[in-house]
Amino acid sequence: MRVTAILTTALAMAAAFIVLLGFFFPVPALLELRAILTNWAMTIGGMAVFIGVLNLVAVHIGKIQKRQKGSGSGVILVFSLLSVFTYGVLFGVEDPLMQMTMNAVIAPVEAALMALLVVTLTYAGIRLLRWRGDLAAMLFLAVVVFFLAAIAPKPFDNGILDGLIVNVAGTIAQGGARGLLIGVALGALLTGLRVMFGIDRPYGGD
Amino acid sequence: MFTLDFISGLIGFILTLLIFSYLINDNPLFRMAVYLFIGAASGYAAAVVWQYLLAPQVSVVIYSEDLGEWLLAAIPLILGVSLLSKLSPKISSLGSVAMALFVGVGAATALGGAVLGTLVPQVGAAIGAIDVQADSGDAFAKLIEGGVMLAGTALTLAYFQFSAERAPDGTPKRNIVFEGIAGIGRLFIAITFGVLFAGVYMAALTAMIERLNAMVDFIRPWIGF
Repeated sequence: MRVTAILTTALAMAAAFIVLLGFFFPVPALLELRAILTNWAMTIGGMAVFIGVLNLVAVHIGKIQKRQKGSGSGVILVFSLLSVFTYGVLFGVEDPLMQMTMNAVIAPVEAALMALLVVTLTYAGIRLLRWRGDLAAMLFLAVVVFFLAAIAPKPFDNGILDGLIVNVAGTIAQGGARGLLIGVALGALLTGLRVMFGIDRPYGGD
Repeated sequence: MFTLDFISGLIGFILTLLIFSYLINDNPLFRMAVYLFIGAASGYAAAVVWQYLLAPQVSVVIYSEDLGEWLLAAIPLILGVSLLSKLSPKISSLGSVAMALFVGVGAATALGGAVLGTLVPQVGAAIGAIDVQADSGDAFAKLIEGGVMLAGTALTLAYFQFSAERAPDGTPKRNIVFEGIAGIGRLFIAITFGVLFAGVYMAALTAMIERLNAMVDFIRPWIGF
């Protein structure tokens, strides 16, 4: 193991222990140290966002220079990115034109892409039925159909049956979702511990 | 006539049409709208990061005369700049210190969040669901409901238990009891994902109705109905 690797591993472990101790022992000195380290990590994360954006621009400029397929769309991406970023830095994100970018481009496209999900989810449901006809797949689709029927607005009163479907499926789903959440938390716990004890070194500490 | 609202509505209308053109087929107009969205959203995110996170630190580095404050602002900025070295494989190790700090703090935050934000509250809620003395409602109904939820939680977790013994032919095989328990857990997961899928579907349907309404509202004054 090289000296740099030992140093980076020690730094990661020390930072992790200080932050974690601050969680469980709220001593003023530890809390202050935790706040400083968290702020530093946030700044580094912010710089990482910048580098990511820079990389995105570099990749598309490279595609444009080589006149690769899709480079026309790349021109639009680079132009919109640089113009929005430059304007935002010069005039602030609260500027009316920046807000217009949000209201005219970002929000409508996000909502329209979300709307497209209706079609893709329906298609995925049909494909699931064709590809996998086992009990779990059937149950999944039956729950989707009955749950949607129960929560959709109807011209007639079907309160008792709808309530029963929502309650039964909701109770079972709550248990299942809790199991999944606990599983995810256990996974995060284990991954965090592996990083804390230097078993995993994704920062290049080999 | 050409107010900011009108221009905003017109751009939104055109972009929504371009996105919906995907329903016919994947086409250049759809891709153009998506690339424009990615560019605008990335530029916006970078501007937000600059304004709220980096610019205040940079101004401290430039104007502050207090050494302690200056160091607290300068160190993370220098570490952040060192991340640029990751773009070149030859000097990428220069960014490892910044990455180590970032990963260490991130891992501890995730670990603390997982324990205090998910594990403790969820385990508490799972136990509380069968605590019939906690409220004055129908104890039997609460016990049944809590029991089903607790069983769902336990069986779902059991499904992800993949320890297995090796069968005589060399293939890994789970204990038959565990296989049955995991099978029931799989049904609970199917129901859970069914409910989640229905929720996402309803949200997507709501977004579609909102977009169609916005489009109709925009063209209504022009076609006069």
